[in-house]
Amino acid sequence: MTHATDREAIPEPQNPLGVDGIEFIEFATSRPQALGGVLETFGFRPIARHRSREVELYRQGTMNIIVNAQPADVPRTVMPTERPVISAFAVRVRDAQYAYRRAIELGAWEIPVRAQAMEINVPAIHGVGESLIYFVDRYDEFSIYDVDFRAIPTVDPHPPAVAGMHFFGIVQYVGPDRTADWTEFYSQLMGFTPLPRQVRFGIMPSGLLLESPCRKFFLQLIEPDESARFAAMDEHLQRVGLGTPDVTAAVASLEKRGVEFLATDRVHSSERGALTKPLLGGMMFELVKSTPPGGGEQ
Amino acid sequence: MIFRDIGMATASLVGSLETKLAAVRSAGFSQVMIAAADVVSHPGGTAAGVRAVRASGLEVTGVEALRDFEGLERQLHAYKVDVAKAMLEICADLGGRLLLVEASTSKHASADPAAIARDLAKLAVLAVPLGIRVAYKGQPWSRTARDFRQAADIVLRANVPNLGVAVDAFDVLASGVPLDDLDILDPDQTFLVQVSDYMWQEVRSAEEQAVTATHFRVFPGEGAHSEALSEFISRLDTNGYVGNYSFDVYNDDFLQMPPEVVSVRARRAAVWLAETVLRRALPVPNVERLRALRS
Repeated sequence: MTHATDREAIPEPQNPLGVDGIEFIEFATSRPQALGGVLETFGFRPIARHRSREVELYRQGTMNIIVNAQPADVPRTVMPTERPVISAFAVRVRDAQYAYRRAIELGAWEIPVRAQAMEINVPAIHGVGESLIYFVDRYDEFSIYDVDFRAIPTVDPHPPAVAGMHFFGIVQYVGPDRTADWTEFYSQLMGFTPLPRQVRFGIMPSGLLLESPCRKFFLQLIEPDESARFAAMDEHLQRVGLGTPDVTAAVASLEKRGVEFLATDRVHSSERGALTKPLLGGMMFELVKSTPPGGGEQ
Repeated sequence: MIFRDIGMATASLVGSLETKLAAVRSAGFSQVMIAAADVVSHPGGTAAGVRAVRASGLEVTGVEALRDFEGLERQLHAYKVDVAKAMLEICADLGGRLLLVEASTSKHASADPAAIARDLAKLAVLAVPLGIRVAYKGQPWSRTARDFRQAADIVLRANVPNLGVAVDAFDVLASGVPLDDLDILDPDQTFLVQVSDYMWQEVRSAEEQAVTATHFRVFPGEGAHSEALSEFISRLDTNGYVGNYSFDVYNDDFLQMPPEVVSVRARRAAVWLAETVLRRALPVPNVERLRALRS
């Protein structure tokens, strides 16, 4: 056989937007210092502050986390409360304006121009619940943070990652019978594809996994279990999954830093993954065994 | 309750929104289809209209109706998208999970099925973050979908999970569509069934049908087509439909009668539908439970 696809029509994976991983994940909270303290135990370092708003940038390795304490001024976006919630994620794309216009054309809700919580000039659409999805195309030579953020002096702007950690994905809670709707949303707007039910990562196997067209991160859609199916519909981004090539080593170094992991009969750390105890009233991180995209670049 | 999946529509009643809701409630219904106009025309403003619906304790079957949406181009399309977004937001504020879309009668609408499907898919994607399903209903005088068969074709073509079909019994009976054709409907993509009867034995022309549809409908069991209506409902039920039934009754006489009198007629119709047609003796589990039982 000269070529793997000679004999069958195997469609190319769709990546119309040139999706290329997650640029940042944003948390909203009215207690940014408490969240900052938690993030530091995970190895994130504060590296920059927004010039005019109560917004901070934390980083380790390839991961950027934005902590936003600014009250929301756009309807249907997160109003910061004490419990931190995931209020946005930013997708790297080839051309942010193109990605944004195409998403709007296909039925996304636009965020009023120039009214984004962070004031960075990044187009955004409404995501699940009150969250936003940003499109970012400046992540190579210079970054979106150069304009609106001021670096914190004497801090290493590129702190190394603990145990090779990188963004693996985001878990999204969806309402009963809503998996198909959200799968359609992410596949239409960004080219995500659902993985077969038997493909699983980590130790939390519920729901359906969607793979990004760049194959660098995942969204995991989880419906309520039977007993909760008749409660009022609540949909939101529930937790961030951090990939690491060696979960056991990562758990060991994070525990040394003060992070606590769940150790129950049903959920406990293993070489496949681990789940932190709830922090600050409900926030969680999950560790998942995974090699960083690109084979270890940091 | 044996008819918890059967509801009235505010459009069938006269009076303030609060009066209508109270009449629906006092007749023993647990759900109501809300005409968007009833909410936005509330004297206290839209927010007060929303509060009234929420305070009624009634479940919202859905919001009706987005009209002349699909098949438009450029600024007309953009304008209709804004209208659609406003209706979706009202629906979400009310706690509703369904927006009824009536097939376009606009002269400006393209009849190209691909364009119509694309527009409806976009509407469905707009509805996803708000947790709303879009039910597309054919209309005999529409340019884009004249009945549920054409509506189902377009829904199939659009192929978006939260876009489905609404079927109106009146349209089926009055236009003489064979009931066998109901078998083409995928029960999982059938999101709403509207039920009403009418007094005339037959409707002779499309014009007469349009007039009858908007002025002379009556509740099921009150009209001249009880047998056909029973057959219609039984078919859908046998085919696995587990969604809601809404009384879609527009009648000029009812708009001159006290709403509580009209809603008593509606209750009689609901009992007729549940006991005589669907042969129920026991309370109905809700839709999710029915679906779970079926799968």
